[in-house]
Amino acid sequence: MKNKNQKNLENTISKRFFLLSILKGSVVGAIGWRFFDLQMIENRKYEKLSDNNQFNFLMIAPERGRILDRKMRLLAGNMDGFSLVLKWNKNINVDEIIKKVLKIVNISQKSLNKFYEEIKSNKNEFAKEILITKNLSQKDVSKLAVRSIEFPEVTFLMTKKRFYPQGIIAGHITGYIGPYSKNDSEIKMKPNTSWLEVGKTGLEQFFDNELRGKFGRKRNEVTSKGHIIASQIYENTIPGKDIQTSLDMGLQAFAIERFERGNNTLIPIKNDNIKKQILKTKNIEYVNKDFLYKDKKNKIVNPQSGSLIVMDIENGEILCSVSSPGYDPNIFSEDLEINVWNDLKNNSRAPLLNRSMSGVYPPGSTIKMAVALAALENGIIDYNTKFYCNGMKELGSSTFHCWAKDGHGKLNLIEAIEQSCDVYFYELGLKVGIDKIALMMKKLGLGQYYDLEIKDRSKGVVPNIEWKLKRDGLQWSMGETLNASIGQGYLLTTPLQLTTMVSRIANGKFAITPTLMLGKSQNRFEPLNINYKHLDFIKKSMERVVKGINGTARNYQIGSKKIEMAGKTGTVQVVRISEAEREKGLIKNEDRPWKKRDHALFVGYAPVSKPKYAITVVVEHGGSGSSVAAPIARDIFKYIFKV
Amino acid sequence: MNYKLNKFSEKSFSYMFFSKLSKINLIIILSIILLGFVGVASLYSAAGGYWDPWAKNHLIRLIFGMCLMLILAFLPQDIFFKLSVFSFLIGILSLILVKFIGTGNVQRWITLGGINFQPSEAMKLALILILARYFDHISRIELDKLKTYILPIFLILLPGFLVISQPDLGTGLTIILLGLAILFFVGISMKFVILCFILLASSIPFIWNQLYDYQKDRILVFLNPEIDSLGSGYQIIQSKIAIGSGGLFGKGYLLGSQSRLNYLPEKHTDFIFTLISEELGFLGSISIILIFCILITSIMKISFRVKSLFSKIVTFGIGFLLFLYLTLNIGMVCGLLPVVGAPLPLISYGGTSLLTVLIGLGIVLSISINDKEVL
Repeated sequence: MKNKNQKNLENTISKRFFLLSILKGSVVGAIGWRFFDLQMIENRKYEKLSDNNQFNFLMIAPERGRILDRKMRLLAGNMDGFSLVLKWNKNINVDEIIKKVLKIVNISQKSLNKFYEEIKSNKNEFAKEILITKNLSQKDVSKLAVRSIEFPEVTFLMTKKRFYPQGIIAGHITGYIGPYSKNDSEIKMKPNTSWLEVGKTGLEQFFDNELRGKFGRKRNEVTSKGHIIASQIYENTIPGKDIQTSLDMGLQAFAIERFERGNNTLIPIKNDNIKKQILKTKNIEYVNKDFLYKDKKNKIVNPQSGSLIVMDIENGEILCSVSSPGYDPNIFSEDLEINVWNDLKNNSRAPLLNRSMSGVYPPGSTIKMAVALAALENGIIDYNTKFYCNGMKELGSSTFHCWAKDGHGKLNLIEAIEQSCDVYFYELGLKVGIDKIALMMKKLGLGQYYDLEIKDRSKGVVPNIEWKLKRDGLQWSMGETLNASIGQGYLLTTPLQLTTMVSRIANGKFAITPTLMLGKSQNRFEPLNINYKHLDFIKKSMERVVKGINGTARNYQIGSKKIEMAGKTGTVQVVRISEAEREKGLIKNEDRPWKKRDHALFVGYAPVSKPKYAITVVVEHGGSGSSVAAPIARDIFKYIFKV
Repeated sequence: MNYKLNKFSEKSFSYMFFSKLSKINLIIILSIILLGFVGVASLYSAAGGYWDPWAKNHLIRLIFGMCLMLILAFLPQDIFFKLSVFSFLIGILSLILVKFIGTGNVQRWITLGGINFQPSEAMKLALILILARYFDHISRIELDKLKTYILPIFLILLPGFLVISQPDLGTGLTIILLGLAILFFVGISMKFVILCFILLASSIPFIWNQLYDYQKDRILVFLNPEIDSLGSGYQIIQSKIAIGSGGLFGKGYLLGSQSRLNYLPEKHTDFIFTLISEELGFLGSISIILIFCILITSIMKISFRVKSLFSKIVTFGIGFLLFLYLTLNIGMVCGLLPVVGAPLPLISYGGTSLLTVLIGLGIVLSISINDKEVL
């Protein structure tokens, strides 16, 4: 009995033993599968989570590339500066720390706003370094350093600050940089960091990607409590590339000074007398801190405003591009005060406008070569075709005047250009027609954008019949052709376009386009396709403008046997002169208010024997092209050729 | 005469010693040494590459415990039979005592001569012994009767609820599960098994009410760790991250970032396996689970082989205890089970559980050596 029981029991136990073994086996199997799932299948996901735990990454700003001129002189570089940085983690009281810091040093509201924006956008809880300001002076640093015990979370960093050693001289070309803002939507692949600064205008904007370089990353190892226990460079920064421009800073500096002086005299500000005089003088919007200009009547005047461009006619390189008044890009590297900015923005002379590329002016008589070429190319006149100028041209009920009140008499094309006879070109315009003139203007580079390294530029206006119909829905009138033929009316050009036009005429073979880069491929030019005999003839007449007995710029010859310039003056009427005023006799330019004075233009090239450089001088409300613009061009060429 | 007798007995003692030594189960010894070594190495890593504060102590305890285990192994097994009732009484007494003189935030430890002692751990062994002794005397017919189970169920539930009320849910449930497994093992009829299930299921609401808030939290968070990713769920989430990021080969010994940067909670005790998984990867974790399986299987083999019912039940109980430790701990760290305090035998830092396991293994060794001699 007991034996049987014993056996039964053993059987049961064996059964149960196996049942339990199966249970245990499956439990261990489940655990094994769980580990396989976690460690093999979902490994990637957890690896990422672990890395997120372990590390946080900080961006390191690369050093921005330099901008150099053609002789490797610095236009834009970097200098050492001090940045104030908050080592943020979730446990600190930001407001209190900032309050303490503000008691010791001043931090601009703009920087603070940016800083708080960054704090707010900081979604995760990882510790990170947040920039407070980039513009800390040496003095600020020492002040803060003494009391740094009070706010251990705040540290200094040596950082680079954008620096433009040429200051105001090339501000329009280099442009400036500033912190990334939402307006800079064009910028792709925005690194997520408060250190990002991007080019806002000029070359800084155009070459932003090249200049910026690549952000590096610092990898911090963080404990669960947020303490950084190790820090290493994870990704190296790649400094930005240097950009070498075609500008010649020597020429640029000379040109800006010569241009602003115009025909006035430079007087250094030394005594208080002059300062008082400045205060008394009205309408002086733009006064340099160190010197000022006085005109012939000993009145204080503004520096001339306008544009001056010198371009190589063989490769289109721009050697000098003055736009006056200018601005100093260095002010944007500091914390720009809002009133400084407003002053710049609201100044009636628009110092922020790059007149060389985006300022548009009626070209005036400087356009006459294009009209003449249109006539010659279309076979409408030959070299000897003569017209009679009696001082005016009547068309319908309107009268169109020549600048010479009593007329030039009978004259041919070369004389017409030399003396800039308006009536001759009225006749030409009527014969050729606006469409053909417009075509030639386009061929010479007007009314178009170029593939230039500056984004802000204007297209100008080259009107034709279709253009007017499209714009106003009105028929083109003959009178408008007359106006266009002497560079007035709808016609608008930028100084850069005029320079390009002259370059193409002087070059004769290729349709030169301008560039700010040094050594850009010359294969980019297309052939000009204008009969070179006609071009030679036009060039001859441009020489006569300077050399001829009646030339409008005859007083401003370079005076060297080897090097002489050729060109064309232009005087652009800004206000319409009524018949009544004309009867009374014209008021002298100098006696008119500045805003109503004529623009003075000169386009030209030198040397005559083997053209190399083209020049455009536009002096806003400067008076006549021959007396104001031409001497500036002469002096620039004298500087270039060291005559 | 005396001399001769002495000489004879000496001879027979040394003979007996060596014959016993030769019968010792080498696989078990080897597994223990291996796992102990893993424990010391992991604790060395948990301290960031230092012997202090855990690895050194663990090694000392391990050596001491293994000596104790070997001494037990050479004792005749009937000693355990005789001691079973006494040890159970001592166990219950100390569980009651811990309520009054216990130390620690939650009253789990008794301090004896400067050594912290956790009676709930020792209770597991005592329970195995007393159940084995009880069923050793019950014949097959009596096993069919309900009244046969009244006493053992009382024996199981008494320490079980005492421990749960400490409060230590993990250990308490381990004790109850262990007891029930033994009941099932000895052949409780399926009727009772089902009855037990119903009883257990119906007592869940009652147990739930008895639970402390943090225990409820643990279970709720286990069901959905994301509800509290920085609070109670933090442990499970970080543990899963550590295990998952280990991959096939792991991050390398001493290189586990989760443990080094203190993202792992309790990395030296209950969550030590997480550290191992992170540093040694899937291969390392599976190897260690495999060693445990070999150890448990060897114990089960002994249980299957031995003739006496007492030995059978005791060996099975100790084997099953190891299995429970293993699955509760590893199931917990990988998120299969809620976070209940369950150490990983031989590896986790903690003296009492280490000693309990080694004493248990000593009993198993003793049974495996002495079993045939008894019969």
